[in-house]
Amino acid sequence: MAPPQLLSDFMRLMLLLAPSAAIICLVLAGLSLRQGSIPDALIGSNFAKWMFWAVVFLTLPQLISWFPSFGVPAPLPGGGVGTGWMANLQTDVANFVQNFVMNRLALTFAAFFVLRAILDTVQGGHPLPSILGAMFLLAIQTTVNLIQSYNSGTSYATADALDSLWNYTAGTICPIAAGLAIIGAIWNFVGRRPVMPLVGATLGLLTVSAIWKLVTSMM
Amino acid sequence: MTFYHGILNLTNWAGNVILPTLGGLFIVFAVIQFARGYQHLYSTWAYGGLMCLMVSGLLRMFEKFTGQAGWNNPDLYWNSLLNLVDWFANVVLPVYAGMHVAVGAMKFAGLFEHQVHQQFNHARHFVGATLCLLASGLLRLAEFFVSKGAAGVR
Repeated sequence: MAPPQLLSDFMRLMLLLAPSAAIICLVLAGLSLRQGSIPDALIGSNFAKWMFWAVVFLTLPQLISWFPSFGVPAPLPGGGVGTGWMANLQTDVANFVQNFVMNRLALTFAAFFVLRAILDTVQGGHPLPSILGAMFLLAIQTTVNLIQSYNSGTSYATADALDSLWNYTAGTICPIAAGLAIIGAIWNFVGRRPVMPLVGATLGLLTVSAIWKLVTSMM
Repeated sequence: MTFYHGILNLTNWAGNVILPTLGGLFIVFAVIQFARGYQHLYSTWAYGGLMCLMVSGLLRMFEKFTGQAGWNNPDLYWNSLLNLVDWFANVVLPVYAGMHVAVGAMKFAGLFEHQVHQQFNHARHFVGATLCLLASGLLRLAEFFVSKGAAGVR
């Protein structure tokens, strides 16, 4: 028996709104990046959680394709939403997220983070978390495109996207972060603060993949 | 606008624009600390100023240390630490030894007595005044050393 039209349209509505939900998750991830120190924010904080949910929303159809293997037939309806008011709702929500949340609100949050960075420095704190948070918020659209480009289209798409994001972080972002660590080491040296943690971190940031291989070879 | 370009440009800006400028400030601080007789402080500022001019070189050095084995070699971190220790032991320490031999020889010859007790000596003020007038020259000298030092990296 075919599912009712309203139910199918509701499913289409939810699936079509998944990218918008991912954008909201990325905005929340960017806001979380400012909380605490950078390592705390990346691992064990809300940033990792929101990034995970962004990936899940962007790979939702592939993730749902696991349901038949659990004995739950879940054919995904294709095409657009047939019911008029639901189609309008989908368009309005997508426009709201795209034009208001991402293009305007995230931009304003980023501007406030730049201000926050200056105020952090005034208080003797570190401006880097706020600056990185601002950059992340400004780059939400390209981050969405990046995650979508990592979608393999298979049932393993969620794990593939997370794997690819790890590779991107380890292979592209970490070597650049090593440069920042060197700058931090010089700054600490002049300020007579410990230098060796940042020297070790520089070596670690340049050898992330090798450390991963080391850990797996120890198992 | 990508996060990659953002963090890349931030690193380039901090390393190639801000730190070399601050390096000049640190050398000025070193001269001031020297003139005030704070011997335990001025060398930190002076080395800090020199390192500010060498950010790119230091990063290339660490990349060299971490590039001696394959990216997926489990021993790469150990190898990198080994290269770091090797560099300190076989490059930095011999240079440091040369400096100490030179200072020892100068002390032995009695040429360095005024500098040894300079915080109690009038000579410190004259040397400090001279260095205050030579701040730009000191910075150019440090830049000269750094640019010449790149020849050894290749």
